[in-house]
Amino acid sequence: MASIEFRHIQKSFGAVDVIHDMNLTIDDGEFVALLGPSGCGKSTSLFMLAGIYLPSGGDLLFDGHRVNEVEARDRNVGIVFQSYALYPHLSVRENIRFPLRLKKVPAAEAERRIAEAAELVQIAELMERRPSALSGGQQQRVALARALVKDPTLLLLDEPLSNLDATLRLTMRTEIKSLQERLGVTTVLVTHDQIEATTMADRIICMRDGRIEQIGSSDDLYLRPKSLFVASFIGSPPINLIEGQVENGRLTLGECTLSAGNAPIGEVTAGIRPEHLTIGEEGLPGRIVQIEPMGREILYVVDTGIGQLRVLEPGSTATHRSGEQVSIGFAEDNTLVFDNVNGERIADARFSL
Amino acid sequence: MADVASLAAAAQGQEHWDRLAARSARERRMRRGFLYVFLILASLPVMVPYFWLGTLAFSAHLSGVDTRVLWPSIFILVPSVLLTWLWAIAARTPRQALIGWAVIWVVAIAIFAVVVGPSLHLGNFRFLYNPNFNAENENIVAAEDNPGFSATSFPWVWTAFANSLIIAGGATLIVIIVASLAGYYISRFQYRFRTTSLAAMLILHAFPATVLLIPIFILMWQLGLLNTLFAIVLVIVGIELPFAVFIMKGFFDAVPWEIEMSALTDGATRRQAFFKVVLPQVVNGMIAVSVFVFIRGWEEFVFVLVLSTQQAKWTMSLYTFFVVEENSLGVDYGLVSAVAVFYILPSFVLYTLAQKYLLQMTVSGVKG
Repeated sequence: MASIEFRHIQKSFGAVDVIHDMNLTIDDGEFVALLGPSGCGKSTSLFMLAGIYLPSGGDLLFDGHRVNEVEARDRNVGIVFQSYALYPHLSVRENIRFPLRLKKVPAAEAERRIAEAAELVQIAELMERRPSALSGGQQQRVALARALVKDPTLLLLDEPLSNLDATLRLTMRTEIKSLQERLGVTTVLVTHDQIEATTMADRIICMRDGRIEQIGSSDDLYLRPKSLFVASFIGSPPINLIEGQVENGRLTLGECTLSAGNAPIGEVTAGIRPEHLTIGEEGLPGRIVQIEPMGREILYVVDTGIGQLRVLEPGSTATHRSGEQVSIGFAEDNTLVFDNVNGERIADARFSL
Repeated sequence: MADVASLAAAAQGQEHWDRLAARSARERRMRRGFLYVFLILASLPVMVPYFWLGTLAFSAHLSGVDTRVLWPSIFILVPSVLLTWLWAIAARTPRQALIGWAVIWVVAIAIFAVVVGPSLHLGNFRFLYNPNFNAENENIVAAEDNPGFSATSFPWVWTAFANSLIIAGGATLIVIIVASLAGYYISRFQYRFRTTSLAAMLILHAFPATVLLIPIFILMWQLGLLNTLFAIVLVIVGIELPFAVFIMKGFFDAVPWEIEMSALTDGATRRQAFFKVVLPQVVNGMIAVSVFVFIRGWEEFVFVLVLSTQQAKWTMSLYTFFVVEENSLGVDYGLVSAVAVFYILPSFVLYTLAQKYLLQMTVSGVKG
């Protein structure tokens, strides 16, 4: 087990800077997620942790010790790849034994640990098979067992659920989470899927273009996003964003003017999540143009004076018809205002009808 | 009444669909027929000479071609092939086809055994156990109509066989080791002029090696390697290496990076990762490349002829050539054919055993 620290870490490939000045501390036993769109540097950070990439600058610390130049083989890091990366020419048992064999663990102890790891991820009956004879979910478990059998100081998960079908993803999510809690191993999950990040991780590090955009719990990221990027990246269906101007405490959005208490003058983007909008008696007048039943919720697309809004209403049956004239209401507390110049949220700015 | 009418319509409908199904089956049979015609026409020019070669090797005697064997053989072979093809069109199920073919060929082989069988003998293979077969031949021929003609002394066939084996095996060993390492490096590491060097390597393989005969002769003379098997091994390695590297690179490209990363984090050094994890994934490629280089070495002729002047350095290719070329032996078709059969046997066995891997090469090797 170990605590991890990125101190002014940089990474560039040739002339391309992939990570700019990354600072991050991960506590011993913590489960964090690196979340971001592809190309944001999250996998690069992971490979630096694993010791496959050498940082171009800064210090990488394990338990307060600098490990920049320590080889991957000496770091005792367990890693699970999106493609599982099992060794195709070895049986499941040999796959799990591989790291122990390289560490010259005595045979009897190795057997005991292999059995333990197999038990942990419930693959005891698959031990003699080849990876090609396993389903995606089973390969995933084998990869986990191989990563855990060496009793890793750090467990790295690189998009581990992307290749699984929806139901299996749900079970594996729960299993990995409870396994991590039970073993208390420091874990870093890399994902572009916000649901994976929010459901599994204690803390989420949202990344963009090689920089950390925001660090926080899923509530922090969802309800108090630091920037336009985080607000729009997190949440499905996505947040409603409307560009406008603030003048004299008034916010102009499209054809409408709303009150905007303490927002400073300038170009802003107003944001509100679809589930924070309600269809009721009062509010912005609008007309429903599209209805999308999503199972437990209904998504209405409504044309209003400030633009097209997505409204999420609970219930599995639509209570409104397409073309119906409705009013859209919302609470001031749920509104967000972003500065268009730097894309950051204006912390205490709200707007209301 | 309405019910009866609709039933009639339905019945007519079924007839309509049955007609379409029958047409489809007919067309399928025709397509299969054309395929077999094509395969037979394409393979006949190759198959017939080999068939004659085999027949001659086991039947001919010293005094010329034995027509009592050749013509009956062809009269059995050709109808059998034709029948096979006709049955491929006529058969309605794969099972029927297989049974029919089995019957045709069992009958053909039975007729062959009865008609030609008694004329078959192993005498032409006497060169395998008699180093002096040529002298005997010469004596017979010279006594008949060529007085004063002296016999070429051939090395024993097993010497030539061993030389060929050393050349082909040695070249294969060197090529496969170098090509595996180089192919891995080119596949995994970025360096300047990577694409250019790959293209240059392929161009090298495009030139006929024969143009280098004189330069290579001079080179080997300067190195003092004339009349050594090692010189020929070097030449074959030089000729075959670029393409082998290219093919191996293709196989390494197909091995995902993640497997290697996984091995590194599992505690392997780069070398261990290469030998324990990457190399086992490209064994098929190594087998395929090995077979090609081995066969290339086995059939090498020109460079052996030019770079060695001693008969002790003859390979199977030279041995076969001089058996064909030798005046008196030119009459002994049986012996010439037997030597040829002996010469192609290792290639044939190797190809048959490695067929699976060779097919894979065309699939994954081209990805370059």
